[in-house]
Amino acid sequence: MAFRKGQRVEVFKKSDDEGWESYMDEFIGCHGVITDPDTAINDPDALVEVSLEDRGTHRFPQDCLRLLDS
Amino acid sequence: MSEKCPVSETIARLQETIESGELKNPRCRRIAEEILDLVEDIAWGGASEEHLPTVRSLVQEFEEGAQSAAGIELAAWLQMTLEESGEVFASHITTHNCATGDCDKLTPAPCQMACPAGIDVPTYVTLIGMGKDAEAIEIIRRDNPFPWVCGLVCTRPCEFMCVRGRIDSPVSIKFLKAFAAERALSEHRYKNPPKAPDKGKKVCIIGAGPGGMSAAYYLALKGYTVRVIEALPVAGGMVMVGIPRYRLPREVIDREVAMIEDLGVEFVYNTRFGTDVTMDQLREEGFEAFLFAIGAHKAFKMGIPGEKDYPQVIEAIDLLRRVALGDRHVPGRRAVIIGGGNVAIDAARTCLRLGCEEVTIAYRRTRREMPADVEEIEQAEEEGVRFSFLTIPIKVEGKDGRVTALHCHRAELVRREGSSRMYPVPIMGSDFFIEADVIIGAIGQRVDSECMHELEDLRWTRRNTIDVRMASMETSMEGVFAVGDAVTGPATVISAIGGGKRAAEAIDRYLEGIPQPKMPPVPVRRARVPFIEVPASTKMTLKRPEMPLLNLDRRRTTYQQVELGYAEKDVRDEAIRCLRCDICKRCGECVKVCRDKMGIDALQLGYLDFDHPVQTDFRLTEERCICCGACAENCPNGAMQIEDRDGERILSICGTILNRQKLVYCEECGAVMGPAKYLDYIKKRFHTVGQISADHMVCEACARKRAAAPNLGGLPPSNI
Repeated sequence: MAFRKGQRVEVFKKSDDEGWESYMDEFIGCHGVITDPDTAINDPDALVEVSLEDRGTHRFPQDCLRLLDS
Repeated sequence: MSEKCPVSETIARLQETIESGELKNPRCRRIAEEILDLVEDIAWGGASEEHLPTVRSLVQEFEEGAQSAAGIELAAWLQMTLEESGEVFASHITTHNCATGDCDKLTPAPCQMACPAGIDVPTYVTLIGMGKDAEAIEIIRRDNPFPWVCGLVCTRPCEFMCVRGRIDSPVSIKFLKAFAAERALSEHRYKNPPKAPDKGKKVCIIGAGPGGMSAAYYLALKGYTVRVIEALPVAGGMVMVGIPRYRLPREVIDREVAMIEDLGVEFVYNTRFGTDVTMDQLREEGFEAFLFAIGAHKAFKMGIPGEKDYPQVIEAIDLLRRVALGDRHVPGRRAVIIGGGNVAIDAARTCLRLGCEEVTIAYRRTRREMPADVEEIEQAEEEGVRFSFLTIPIKVEGKDGRVTALHCHRAELVRREGSSRMYPVPIMGSDFFIEADVIIGAIGQRVDSECMHELEDLRWTRRNTIDVRMASMETSMEGVFAVGDAVTGPATVISAIGGGKRAAEAIDRYLEGIPQPKMPPVPVRRARVPFIEVPASTKMTLKRPEMPLLNLDRRRTTYQQVELGYAEKDVRDEAIRCLRCDICKRCGECVKVCRDKMGIDALQLGYLDFDHPVQTDFRLTEERCICCGACAENCPNGAMQIEDRDGERILSICGTILNRQKLVYCEECGAVMGPAKYLDYIKKRFHTVGQISADHMVCEACARKRAAAPNLGGLPPSNI
């Protein structure tokens, strides 16, 4: 598990993963909090749930997220 | 960061063109002003369903009459904006929220935006603070038909985004919801809203989990005939068979499912799609749309030798299901659970309650990496569950057909090149054994797709989940939708509920022939309730209450609910801690004007910044504040208010009283002059107040009269 619940992250780039939908393009640069990480099998490929500041809660591929603090 | 809101851009463009005077034709100018009025209504949350069609027709009229270059250009721009962003205008009217935050009055609260179901959190929390529990539940159920269930088991994304958390700790939103649901039920005021007239169309939902039942609820309210097919003998899905009863009593699920049944939704149990009933049969019965909410009930295998050789190696999810359906047999004296998520914790705590003497969780990483909820881990430890961290299982050992131990390696966490992720790597020669009579795998679940084999055109993701467009939950097959864990993989209850609500909306659009949205919907602002007035000191000193727990002996032996719920006083006080972010959009204009324009810097509101919050103390305001009202004047949303009441000037933000100062009245005419601090400030700046005498306070008008009186002594009355 790369991300843990409560960590602050940034959507820093678009992902080529099929879990990335076109409406997510406008979330690039948004900051948020991990609310449901990959809780089961520690799969770096799993989608993780992020609550973005003022932009709602969405499931993102992990490769488009980076930690803001640790 | 955010894109601009087309509604506020339209207002700016119209204002600019009208004020420039370039619209020479009076009729065109009048139409432009009318359009501006209507769009301003939309931006302020005051628009009706008629507004958008009227705007469209006025823009058409404007285009036909435009003669000047500016008019023609504006008409083309307006047409293009309505064409491209009509959905956003409509969303402003129906949701009373503006996702970009550009429309001041419609900026949604972070908690509401964070909720996957879009519940209007500040409104219901405030209603609970007022003691209006049934009204709060009515607000919640507009977006989530399971307030009691979620009040006990929600993963609460709302609390992660709660702005109060930037000051001390987030408002305990989840438990407030549980209290209100219980109270509303006990007062017989937990009711279904009225249904729309019957539409004469049938929808079939496969799976009675939170996603499927949420869709059933909203579709039934819209007037559809809904049938829910469920493979298990009970409704609830993972909520019923995946979450143990000590966290979520069956009574809670049954009561809220019964509310859905009361709407006329038909539940057909013990019926497996693909085996007991097929799509063709359902189509023949007249079902026109289908929603698959089949969950993720199949466990991943551990893939270690011996796993398949002994009947005492079982899956956590199977154990939880059996226990939920009434099985109370002890699985073994010593249980080892493999995994670190909530399911592993649930399985371990269930084993304790079933009577296992030793329960150990074996996890490959450290406590820090455990994905389970911190509260769940703590409660498991209190109850006696042991943890074996940095433990990699390599083989199930057994004798005479029975498990005897789990053979493990110690692990160390190693960072691989080019990755921030820490990987557990076995330490050679570190073998050890954990004695066990039963070994329970809890390393994750996946979707059981076997029942779906007849749907050949259904597209799946590489993660073996049903491929959907998240805005509408449409699959690759026309008229077929999907929600819940079947779409996301094992996820949260509230995420499934949000998906179910979206799917209901999308199915309605599909059956009505309306195009589907491109974006997930913006949450709806359900009300604008008044503030609860509270002194700054109370707002700062109230602390989030601790949850009382069942005593340990009972927790180890019974399935009684562990979290006992808040007392009523705690609930009402906790609701008062809410900062009402549905009104205060945290723009910081109040802080800026106080500090930069007035030079006072009285507002210590560090929570306004998401990325860099600093100290907040509402109590500090009164130290410097002069009650000038500049902050209230510059607040775009009415969050900051100043008023004269009972001889005092009172400054408040969303009901929190920041300062109250005694008013000074003019000794001559009795007019309000403001508080003494404010008068001192004015005096220092302008030297016009209180000049007559330090002992006599008179207003400016009376001071002028006094000063002029000696000079007017010889003039006739008509000249005075």
